[in-house]
Amino acid sequence: MPLNIIVCIKWVPNTQIVNIDPNTGTLIREGVPSIINPHDLNAVEMALRLKEKYGGVVTAVSMAPMSAKTGLEFVIGMGVDRAILVSDRVFAGADTLATSYTLSKVIEKLRPFDILIFGQETIDSSTAHIGAQTASWLRVPYLYYVVDVEYINGVVRATRRLEKKIEVYELPTPCLLAVAMKSNEPRPVKLSHKLRAKMENVIEVWTNNEVGLKRECIGLRGSPTVVEKCIVTPSVPRKKQRFDGQDVREAVKWLVDRLIEDEGLKII
Amino acid sequence: MSYLSNTKFDVIIVGAGPAGSTAAYTLAKNGLRVVVLERGRTAGSKTLYGGRVYSKPLEEVYENFRKEAPIERWVKKERFSFMSNGELLTLEYSSTDSTSFTAYLSRLASWMAQKAEEAGAVIVTDIRVDDLYLEDGVVKGVRCGDEVLRSNVVVDAEGVNRLILERFGMVPKLEKRQVALGLKQVIRLDASKIEGRLGLAAGEGLAWLIVGEATGYLPGGSFLYTNSSTISLGLVVFLEEAYQNINQHVFNILEDLKQKQSIKEVIADGVVIEYGAHLTPEMGLGMSPKKMYGDGLLIVGDAAGLLLNLGYTIRGVDFAAYSGYLAAKTILKAHSMGSYNSESLSFYQKLLEESFIMKEMKKHKKITKLMRSNEMFTIYPGILLDTVKKLFEIEYSSPTILQALRNSIKGKTSLLKLLWNIFRTFF
Ligand SMILES: Cc1cc2nc3c(=O)[nH]c(=O)nc-3n(C[C@H](O)[C@H](O)[C@H](O)COP(=O)(O)OP(=O)(O)OC[C@H]3O[C@@H](n4cnc5c(N)ncnc54)[C@H](O)[C@@H]3O)c2cc1C
Ligand SMILES: Cc1cc2nc3c(=O)[nH]c(=O)nc-3n(C[C@H](O)[C@H](O)[C@H](O)COP(=O)(O)OP(=O)(O)OC[C@H]3O[C@@H](n4cnc5c(N)ncnc54)[C@H](O)[C@@H]3O)c2cc1C
Repeated sequence: MPLNIIVCIKWVPNTQIVNIDPNTGTLIREGVPSIINPHDLNAVEMALRLKEKYGGVVTAVSMAPMSAKTGLEFVIGMGVDRAILVSDRVFAGADTLATSYTLSKVIEKLRPFDILIFGQETIDSSTAHIGAQTASWLRVPYLYYVVDVEYINGVVRATRRLEKKIEVYELPTPCLLAVAMKSNEPRPVKLSHKLRAKMENVIEVWTNNEVGLKRECIGLRGSPTVVEKCIVTPSVPRKKQRFDGQDVREAVKWLVDRLIEDEGLKII
Repeated sequence: MSYLSNTKFDVIIVGAGPAGSTAAYTLAKNGLRVVVLERGRTAGSKTLYGGRVYSKPLEEVYENFRKEAPIERWVKKERFSFMSNGELLTLEYSSTDSTSFTAYLSRLASWMAQKAEEAGAVIVTDIRVDDLYLEDGVVKGVRCGDEVLRSNVVVDAEGVNRLILERFGMVPKLEKRQVALGLKQVIRLDASKIEGRLGLAAGEGLAWLIVGEATGYLPGGSFLYTNSSTISLGLVVFLEEAYQNINQHVFNILEDLKQKQSIKEVIADGVVIEYGAHLTPEMGLGMSPKKMYGDGLLIVGDAAGLLLNLGYTIRGVDFAAYSGYLAAKTILKAHSMGSYNSESLSFYQKLLEESFIMKEMKKHKKITKLMRSNEMFTIYPGILLDTVKKLFEIEYSSPTILQALRNSIKGKTSLLKLLWNIFRTFF
């Protein structure tokens, strides 16, 4: 039986560019290009390796605005077979509960599935909730920080690396794996795959018409989390001083002097 | 090697800069099957320039260009300054009309790509082309990794760092003396501050070029362009001279410039939101391939060396886009004749020669030479400022202009040489 693998990816604002509104404490997303959550590319890579090794189909799912099509085209370019963009105004404003609920309902429609693969966490919220919550909604076992996976005699054998040890688990299918960030090298896009994404209109868009969820369970209305307050740490203005010499020792001395004289650093 | 056999395009274009996208737009609009392959994440994500584009050639190619293009400000004010010891001598021209605008190249290039896409071209990003693909010595497509995509003709629009053409043996490896290094920062600033500080009416733009101390007295120039609510500030230095004379990182030169009173005032409380660097061709026709076409191949834009740096202005984007347009016209003709050999594609060279691009490049051939004469950047700014200082800073008696000039030149160069240099540049 070929594996049915589902990989979830999030379309996030590039937080390296994003600024924070000093008054409201929220991200200023306007005009900031979005990208695939970088850690989710590790999830895609793991899914594709599984497919290559054991045969199967990889489906990517993302709940996001329509602009995420670009991101799904990218993962199809990497080799993903099918892509579903869950996109509808009624899904907007979701916290992790509503997000995981919606994703789990979408995934249920893709039964029978074998392995669900998630990123470890996102760069814009980094709760690392979604994998665990989705698994709970679906009542499947899950494992986080996975670096490697094999599929032997119908059993998923997953390795995860913790600070001081390496653990190997066996899980039945279906199960959910959250991939450790940076645990593999995501492959580049291939021309033939990317052309297919571009020319064959392969991305399926699912609105709530397709998913059919109650309004009070999704989007802003289905989100009990309330952000009460955000405190922005003030940025320290640069002094624009520069050391112009060549000698490293002099540079270090200059730097230390500056820190002692100007910043009140004490050496004890 | 795997051949992508189920898809065949009439034309493959390498690079979605202004040159590539304009070629794609023109071809797709006329019904050809075109694909653009771009290594960047989006069209325009890998390009960088100073900040101002001449509009007319683009208006000829794109319908409704003035209305639809992502234009920031129309340039109504031009400044050219010599800077020495923190002092400025500035020539300023205010115009009622304007023939150029400021824009972000990333946005302009992505707008062009979008136009091409709407016209029916396929734009594929995240794809790097590694090589041209040949059959019997004729270009028949491109190689990307272990895949080959075929077409009747390939348009090389890969920009100044033309590695594909180098590998193909069409051009020698780039030399330092052929290129300049540009770097710039985009600084966010309220529109009202930009306008107030630079004496602009609402929505008006300024283009400002500065030589001398502004580049650390290196051959090249610094630039300041106004966008709607940002300022583009940067510099271009000839790579060879910079390589020989600089003992610090070039970005320090830009940081120094930002500390100069005249610039500091303009950018005060602005926030740097972007910085980048890029090469630019500087040899004029000296770095163009001998032929800009081959069997199944056309070369456009920076890759073909089509750029003019006049010191007080740079023309790259309009040249690139228009050369893409001419390449497209050539391909349309070749397509109707059913032949893509170098003979039918040589029509491109003819169109180029007849166009403003080659006329401009030939007319200003000498400027490249002058741009490299160190005096222009090391000695003249000082002499000029010294002369002006003597004229305007009067204590008791005031000198005549000639006296002031003679005095300032003393020991640095001869008056005759100075006048001759000015003469041979501009006439
Ligand atoms: C305290 C708090 C309050 C919040 N309140 C709000 C709010 O009021 N309104 C609001 O709009 N947002 C809110 N958010 C953000 C929102 O919860 C998250 O953006 C979203 O639910 C996903 O959580 P995450 O980004 O932390 O994902 P993580 O749990 O860090 O993501 C783990 C993995 O889950 C998968 N995944 C995550 N999101 C998706 C997705 N959309 N599609 C497919 N796969 C996905 C990816 O594989 C990802 O790597 C809040 C976040 C926090 C921390
Ligand atoms: C600092 C600086 C200031 C400038 N100022 C101005 C100015 O004010 N006004 C002006 O008109 N011009 C200016 N120019 C020049 C102008 O930027 C260029 O002339 C113009 O961008 C050339 O367009 P192009 O399409 O030929 O190349 P590019 O804009 O360089 O585009 C080439 C494209 O090809 C892609 N590519 C390259 N190799 C490959 C490959 N192997 N596979 C796939 N894709 C590939 C690149 O990613 C890129 O997107 C300036 C240049 C610099 C560096």
